[in-house]
Amino acid sequence: MADKVSFIKQVTKALGRTKITRPKDNYDTAIFEDRNLARANAAQAVADANSMAANLIDQMVQSADDAGWKVHRADNYEESAELIVGICKDHNAKSVLRSAHSVLTDIPIDRALAASGTVLEVTEHSSQSSNRHIEKSKAAAFNADVGITGVDYAIAETGTVVLHPRAGVSRLVSLAPPTHIAVLRPGDVLASLDELFAIQRDDFLNGKLQGSMNLISGPSKTADIEGTTVTGIHGPLEVHLIVIENNKY
Amino acid sequence: MKPLTINFRSKAAQTIGDEQVQNSLEHVYTGFYQGRINAAADTPNWEELRTKGKAIKDHTIAHLDHYLDMFSEKVEQSGGTVFFADNAEEARQYITELAKDRDIETVIKSKSMVSEEMSLAENMNDSGFETIETDLGEYIIQLAGETPYHLIAPAVHKSRKDVAELLDKDFEDGDRVPDATELTMLAREQLRDVFARADMSVTGVNFAVAESGSITLVTNEGNGRMSTSVPRIHVAVMGMEKIVPSIQDLSTMLRILIRSATGQRISTYVTMVNGPKTPDEEEGPDEFHVVIMNNGRLKLLKDPLLRESLNCIRCGACLNACPVYRKVGGHAYGWVYPGPIGAIVTPVITGLKDATNLPAASSLCGACHEACPVKINIPRMLLELRHKTAEGLSDPDERTSKFVERAIWKTWRIGMMGRGRFDWGARLAYLFMRPFSINGWIRKAPPPISGWTVSRDFPLIAGRSLKSRLNHRHKKEI
Repeated sequence: MADKVSFIKQVTKALGRTKITRPKDNYDTAIFEDRNLARANAAQAVADANSMAANLIDQMVQSADDAGWKVHRADNYEESAELIVGICKDHNAKSVLRSAHSVLTDIPIDRALAASGTVLEVTEHSSQSSNRHIEKSKAAAFNADVGITGVDYAIAETGTVVLHPRAGVSRLVSLAPPTHIAVLRPGDVLASLDELFAIQRDDFLNGKLQGSMNLISGPSKTADIEGTTVTGIHGPLEVHLIVIENNKY
Repeated sequence: MKPLTINFRSKAAQTIGDEQVQNSLEHVYTGFYQGRINAAADTPNWEELRTKGKAIKDHTIAHLDHYLDMFSEKVEQSGGTVFFADNAEEARQYITELAKDRDIETVIKSKSMVSEEMSLAENMNDSGFETIETDLGEYIIQLAGETPYHLIAPAVHKSRKDVAELLDKDFEDGDRVPDATELTMLAREQLRDVFARADMSVTGVNFAVAESGSITLVTNEGNGRMSTSVPRIHVAVMGMEKIVPSIQDLSTMLRILIRSATGQRISTYVTMVNGPKTPDEEEGPDEFHVVIMNNGRLKLLKDPLLRESLNCIRCGACLNACPVYRKVGGHAYGWVYPGPIGAIVTPVITGLKDATNLPAASSLCGACHEACPVKINIPRMLLELRHKTAEGLSDPDERTSKFVERAIWKTWRIGMMGRGRFDWGARLAYLFMRPFSINGWIRKAPPPISGWTVSRDFPLIAGRSLKSRLNHRHKKEI
């Protein structure tokens, strides 16, 4: 069995050296960017997301559509609530799970769904941690009809919704139910993957990197049978993106 | 996985003669190959991204010891466990022991070529753990008891009817063949139950980030996400070359990987795992293990002329571009990695002696080099391997060139060293070859050069050189 030290020693030897040498700092890869530059990049990314929000939302809508999201534009919170209720009704959804994202309590979606008449149960999914809850929480996710989340970021380049699993934002809420609805607001949209990973790196350098991150770009799909693209294999069959254009009721 | 590289010729001939598989292989071209071309055209700074991707990989491999050290330290700092495996056997043992120790019943596997090196699913099933491939293509292949045909499309050679027979026990010859959607939904149903009860997952790694000890997974189906959401233990297996230095390198690498693989701007899911689940989370693995495997990769690293092959990010673009792969198919290559990159990696890892046909199965057209997102010069290395096998450079016992062949080439070299010798040699060759030719072509050469004409004709050398013909005409004109 190889222990770490002897394994790495073999690698060093194969590279024709006798001990590990630190790389010189003149390469084009980001690891040699200093902390200040990473901070500046991240701050710029967040500033751009706000100052160019309208423009980025337009780009996002286009690329999300390309990626297979069903995109709905809502002028305000009230309109977004109507859209979400409409989607749940279309699917005859009885059980709806949602994340704890503030946009969903701002809408407020629970009240709108309760008034819909079809939805029997709206649950904020996985907000507390205890071993007793795990099996229950998994079963709830696999049995739910619709999962609703906000977004932690969105990416205009690729039509991507970014979610960091954490308390109140469970891993399965956007994955296990056959329909996923994501709701985004102005300021959520970053220009490209560069901005997202600049922010991640800054978070890392500040000791704030989240436990994990999911980039979601459209419905689950496969082309493993005769190269034919089929939507919906292990994840949601249908994904909706609700774009709230104004932070108002 | 036991290498069967020695069967290259017979397997290739079998595939070329199989009309259905030839049709299926067309998808590789119409789907993936065209997809990549369109995606590259759609990306304004595509060449710049390729250059950057190459720089990132060149740099990482040149300092692999440093980054492996950093990566493993960071994984452990964030609560994960790292196991270094010298070979497939050790890696397999570690994972099996772990499953035993934690009373595991059901293991879900995401697509991972490294796990194919270990024949992991097969072995874990034999050890009594229900182990199920969850990538649809891999699931089909597992049901068929075969090995993957392509790096990213494992079941590309299977027809809908083949798949129906595998997925549906009641399917009989003559029944209506379900369409791709119906078949996919059938698999969805079968695998949902498996996901819900899985208590351990094994995934591959697309990129491992040294500075943060993170791993990233790229999938379209969502099985990678299931693997990191449902089971209590997540094991990620990787070849030791899979590292990038920094989180910020991911934006470049993900772009070139995905666009080169399927032509998508991004795959449906990209998951970044920075450790086991956090204390405030309900779902997610309590344990996160990373298995880093050598399994012959040191041989590639040691050789400065072959080291570049470790830059590979397993996108499959070279397979899709290769006119040979698209005819002989994935199984001809006889081990885990098919196609042009497989023709380099496979012989070095499993032994050149049985695999001499792999680097030879190329017209050196360069399409793979052109397609590679990190600009790996595959044709150069194929030539290098041909040189090595012919001369027995890595092992004198493996020298494949025969005495006669070497003598012919030595004579050729002498003949090419002066105009007079060349003319004399060409004349001699012409006189020697003429009796075997018909209308200027030799269809069947006599020994010892009969090998040349097995699959191609040889043109008869001209009776007079161009120079002498021109001289002659010149004189006439005056």
